[in-house]
Amino acid sequence: MGLFDRVFNGADQMYRKAESEYEKTVAELGADAPLMMPDTAYFMACIYAYQARKITKLGDLREALDEIKAKMTHEQRTGDVFSSGIASVMAAEVIECCKYAGGRSPYEGTKYHGHFSDAEVRELGVPLVTQDIPGFVVIIDPAPSDEDAAALIKGYQNRGIFVFLIGGVIDQAIRMKIQMGFPVRVVPVGEDIWAVGHIISLVVRAAMIFGAVAPGDWDAFNEYSFHRIFAFVNVFPPLRDMTVACGAGAIAKGFPVITNVVENVWKVPKTIIIQENVADFIETSLEARDIKIKITDIDIPVAFSTAFEGEIIRKKDTRVDINGARVDCFEWVRTKEAHEIEDHSITLDGPDIEEFEPGATMGVGIMVDVAGKNMQSDFEPVFERKFHNFLNCVEGVMHTGQRDMIRVRVSNDAFDAGFRMKHIGEVLYAKVKSEYDTVVDKCQVTIVTDPAKLKELRAEANKSYDKRDMRLRSMTDENVEVFYSCILCQSFSPSHVCVVTPERLGLCGAVSWLDAKATNELDANGPCQVVTKKLLLDENIGSWEDVNEAVTQYSHGALERVTLYSILEDPMTSCGCFECICGIEPASNGVTIVNREHTGITPLGMTFSEMASMTGGGVQTPGFMGHGKHFIASKKFLKAEGGVARIVWMPKALKDIVRDRLNETARELYGIDDFCSMVADEGVSEDPETLLEFLSEKGHPVLAMEPLL
Amino acid sequence: MAFKAAQQKFTAKINETTVGTGERAISLGGENAFPFYSFDAPVENSPKIGIEIHDSGHYAGVPGMDAYYAGADTLAETARRAAAVEGVDFLAVSFDGAHPDSGDRSVEDCVEAIKEIADAVDIPIVIEGSKSVDKDAKLLDKISEALSGRNILVMSAREENYKSIAASAGLAYSQKISAESAVDINLAKQLNVLISQMGVKSENTVMNLGSAAAGYGFEYVASTIDRVKAAALAQNDTMLQMPIVTPVGAEAWTVKEAIVSEEDFPEWGPMEIRGINMEVSTAAACLAAGSNAVILRHPESVKAVSRLVKALI
Amino acid sequence: MALKGLDIFKLTPKTNCKDCGNPTCMAFAMKVAQGAVELDKCPHMSEEAKAQLGDATAPPMKKFTIGAGDGVCALGGETVLFRHDKTFVSKNLYAINVCEGSYDEKLPEIQKVDYDRLGERMYVELLNLQFTGDAGKYAELVGKAQGAGRCLILECQDAAAARAALEICAASKPLLNGANAGNCAEFSALAKEFGVALGVSGASLDELYDTAAQLEKLGNKELVLDVGSASVKDAFAAAVQIRRAALRDNDRVFGYPSLINLAKLAPGDEYLQTALASLFTLKYGSIIVMEKMTYAQALPLYGLRQNIYTDPQKPMKVEPGIYPLNGADADALCVTTVDFALTYFVVSGELERSGVPLNLLISDAGGYSVLTAWAAGKLSASSIAKFIGEFEIENKISNRTLVIPGKVAVLKGEIEEKLPGWTVVVAPNEAVELVKFFKEYKAG
Repeated sequence: MGLFDRVFNGADQMYRKAESEYEKTVAELGADAPLMMPDTAYFMACIYAYQARKITKLGDLREALDEIKAKMTHEQRTGDVFSSGIASVMAAEVIECCKYAGGRSPYEGTKYHGHFSDAEVRELGVPLVTQDIPGFVVIIDPAPSDEDAAALIKGYQNRGIFVFLIGGVIDQAIRMKIQMGFPVRVVPVGEDIWAVGHIISLVVRAAMIFGAVAPGDWDAFNEYSFHRIFAFVNVFPPLRDMTVACGAGAIAKGFPVITNVVENVWKVPKTIIIQENVADFIETSLEARDIKIKITDIDIPVAFSTAFEGEIIRKKDTRVDINGARVDCFEWVRTKEAHEIEDHSITLDGPDIEEFEPGATMGVGIMVDVAGKNMQSDFEPVFERKFHNFLNCVEGVMHTGQRDMIRVRVSNDAFDAGFRMKHIGEVLYAKVKSEYDTVVDKCQVTIVTDPAKLKELRAEANKSYDKRDMRLRSMTDENVEVFYSCILCQSFSPSHVCVVTPERLGLCGAVSWLDAKATNELDANGPCQVVTKKLLLDENIGSWEDVNEAVTQYSHGALERVTLYSILEDPMTSCGCFECICGIEPASNGVTIVNREHTGITPLGMTFSEMASMTGGGVQTPGFMGHGKHFIASKKFLKAEGGVARIVWMPKALKDIVRDRLNETARELYGIDDFCSMVADEGVSEDPETLLEFLSEKGHPVLAMEPLL
Repeated sequence: MAFKAAQQKFTAKINETTVGTGERAISLGGENAFPFYSFDAPVENSPKIGIEIHDSGHYAGVPGMDAYYAGADTLAETARRAAAVEGVDFLAVSFDGAHPDSGDRSVEDCVEAIKEIADAVDIPIVIEGSKSVDKDAKLLDKISEALSGRNILVMSAREENYKSIAASAGLAYSQKISAESAVDINLAKQLNVLISQMGVKSENTVMNLGSAAAGYGFEYVASTIDRVKAAALAQNDTMLQMPIVTPVGAEAWTVKEAIVSEEDFPEWGPMEIRGINMEVSTAAACLAAGSNAVILRHPESVKAVSRLVKALI
Repeated sequence: MALKGLDIFKLTPKTNCKDCGNPTCMAFAMKVAQGAVELDKCPHMSEEAKAQLGDATAPPMKKFTIGAGDGVCALGGETVLFRHDKTFVSKNLYAINVCEGSYDEKLPEIQKVDYDRLGERMYVELLNLQFTGDAGKYAELVGKAQGAGRCLILECQDAAAARAALEICAASKPLLNGANAGNCAEFSALAKEFGVALGVSGASLDELYDTAAQLEKLGNKELVLDVGSASVKDAFAAAVQIRRAALRDNDRVFGYPSLINLAKLAPGDEYLQTALASLFTLKYGSIIVMEKMTYAQALPLYGLRQNIYTDPQKPMKVEPGIYPLNGADADALCVTTVDFALTYFVVSGELERSGVPLNLLISDAGGYSVLTAWAAGKLSASSIAKFIGEFEIENKISNRTLVIPGKVAVLKGEIEEKLPGWTVVVAPNEAVELVKFFKEYKAG
């Protein structure tokens, strides 16, 4: 018999049982006997939810049963299976509720809980909605052994998962002396499979209370539970057809079924999962329902707090010095497939700290492997850069640098308190899982200290860094689909909006396109939002209709138009935190750039702070613009005005920072070698006249360009 | 040549949110013009004034308040007196005594207290919480349950605990909730978005954008409210169209001007008069910027601000 | 829309002659665009350019002064309706209403409130001298008030009495608040003759508009618009609509400062006057006349005004130095934070509440908040070390423990390196946690 037929068969059995219970109860109490489930405003909740029918007396069930029967269609289609499954659950509710007819209390004094009150629905519903309870499991029938049952229940409890028990597993729990009851989050619901009626009653009431789903809206109930209620089912043998039918109901509601039964069961990815090893039930189940357990504690022997971020560990206090400048070291985030990762595994390959002399130099490679449905390899460098902050918060650990130029010191005190290499893994695991929980489902850390292996791995890591850098360099504004807005500084500059593109990083210098992208993916409502670029207005000045719309929206109407590549026409606004500011130098038709650190005057007759005061605050000031240091060498810098050839003056220190890349850009754009040597600095000139002399002497290309004004 | 007054009516409007039940229920917001601009459009609902009481006892040491609440031994009696002040639209109950560092009154005790208060007054009730994020998550849940059906406003849904307050007060018990953020338009909007994503309808949400006493950075408050109202009305930003409720008393009565004694600063005159002026000035400034309700402590302040609102409507 | 710097630059001689005091024409043009420098500072600007720019740079709201000498007060010049768009220009002024019977009694009270807040003198700038019908007594009052060291407002619609008063006090440039639809020709002439600004009122907003337009035509360039005293609601409506017409709708007739008389709108009600003064501080009062100004009223009202009129880009600062709290002596713990006024007020308030004697050290951090100052490099280990050196802290304070803000915990090690002998302790992130922190710190 195929799976579909098992469902239909089980549904029919459930219906017959419901009808006979109904008839038996009517014979006993009469059709007018009241049928009011205690402490609820939702009648018989499954029937109310799916049929919009308010049952108040026994006789009302007749029509409900007819409608249930009508839903148990037997075509060989998935829709029929789901419909029969839900109908089976309603039939189950009929069987259970008949026990309550006439005001009886069927479970009083028994080991079973039975019906849930509205108060209990709310009490469980609130933490389910907030995800303080990450989900719930329904365990049906006895596990292979009492010990298996106890381990399974406790395993779920330890992860904060609410547990409902049906059938023989309840007696196993009693034998294993597991404390049960609503407050301890393990509830023995009932003896027979139709006790699921009570659980689905709870689920549909949660949908009505928390999701305002209207009774009768069949699809909306299933959709709500699929998106908002993280439940799943664990079933052990014998797996009768009625259980299979209810399982179809669970699946219709988005709850996967995990079982160790292999015969007469058909695997359906993420829906019906056969896991023969009961010890792996929990991990399989959580993965099937996409449940992530929140990490709250970091298991290390020293304190973890931002208060330690600035701690400096001196040579004499250093137990071990991990120094990328002297030996092989690296930090490397790698994106993997979920099955390649054992979550929370922390492996040390090589000697630990105690095997080194106090104060010795040590080589360490840290590989953090992550997997997640929404993980992208572009996030790897974003995570890596945060390792610095994470590890610095550890009391007695000092961290600087990234990639293969890291330096980490562990203090004597931290070592004496028991801090070892694996604790670095614990910190990184806990922080990566909690800070990036929207993209990281699984994470494992491997720490290599074996010098032989380190050399090889470092080379491999370097290849990966190079690949990333290549990708970053190859990214242009043209070959990405979207830009990002950034409004991190609006608390200072209310109307400022940065539009961050691959070739134009945020003007603070701290937010690249990849950073903005990661920020957006990690915090969908955060400061960085997707800006589409479908409606090009003018390629030369970098103007898009959708970019303008985004700027209007995020500046709350203060700005209506910006161009991304022009300093003259609707230039991008500036907040207060730009690294540099550029301004038109009219005598040469060029542009001078000055960075924040430079306190002297520029040939414009203004200092950085004078220029900043008239440019900041989110207002457009044609001719002046704040920007990041690394925008200077971009091909998009001043593109509308002719590009980097407009640059006539920069402070020496700034020139040193951008020299290589700027020279390269000038070579590519104009075929000019050593362009920076033509750009004046404070050593040459601080006024327009001497500036012009210098430019003429060097034959600066700007002198041949069109006038700016 | 006559003056051509150009009106500024907006097609968008602030949501109207009702708090409380029965005849004394109040409606906040609903306007499509800037505050008190009755020459642009009729003021839908006049701004409302709340009076604040504390579970830790009334704000003591102020002679006028001491006298007004003298002999009120229970919170219920304090609440009754507060509700009787002329011009009061709603009662705000602060459970500052439930904060773990200052009293740590149990959730059960608080629930008992609020039930007695609810029996004692018929005006709408606003719950201010304990100012402890963790405690509030539990406390506000139980209070929302205990006052089911009273349509109370639960303040203090913050970034750290909005999920539990939205799920409990907002969804499970159908109360009104207030999103509390630091004085910043984007943070306020973000929290509103998050709360609406929880499934709480925006007409069941108000905002507390924070406040500051006059002289203590009030420019941030004024500009933030200005910008929120402008975005709500001119930009039709639905995630900023919630009415604004601003607790003023706690800010006004903690600044130096309102607390140092007359002995220490004889030329400043009686402390109580300074406190009232500080509270009244701050409240008036909040209303001028666009708060739809203010929460005050001193009965005289309530009366004065009520006179202001009456004079302007 | 204000003119952009580049548009102005195009009309300059572009000679970089420096005669205007700026190193380049570009620097000059940018300053003109900001309103920081007058266009006529450039002696070489062509007439054509001046005409072209004059119109465009003419402010939508007139800016002028009343009073003379030390008592001179600026009015008007606003360009925006909301302070987040741009800084408000001329703070609202306070006047106290006096008449001949109340002058002697009120003056000492008025003079009592005179203090400094963050470098700004807080006092009642103006006296509103109300004419009550007797010209002789009014002249006597004006004579007396002239010696009070405050700028005067002559609230008088009687031309003869006004003339007599002006003959006494015209040199101190009072504001003559007396013109209306009925007397505008006469008062226009009076104001011109004595060279004073003229206050004008009307029975309705329309009448006020027409009268102002007429006065402008008659050559009165310095007007103050009295919003009237029919009702609070009308006065507020007038104040808003006047300012909005001028700044948003470019209606220059209403491009003048306003006057609100709370002594008439809320007589005898101190708290309501406080409330209304606060309202009109935010929404468009230029001169606010009150019955009295006690310390209790002044503290919030002047604080609020200072807040509203701050430049959003130039935060209020406190002076760097040592601020001993709770009776701190040389042995008391040192605590440091930035010189941003708001941070200082909040932190010092919490520190005072802790009751623990502390030396609060304020270094120059550019007036930014802690994180902003740190990000901008204005608060760093070197800036703190420099402050400790320059202010000779080590000679003045014997304690060698310095508590730093939690948000810049990252500075701890570096500060300790720069200041040998000091121990750096990290405070909590938020000011509200300070009381508990210091109480516990003191306890051990």
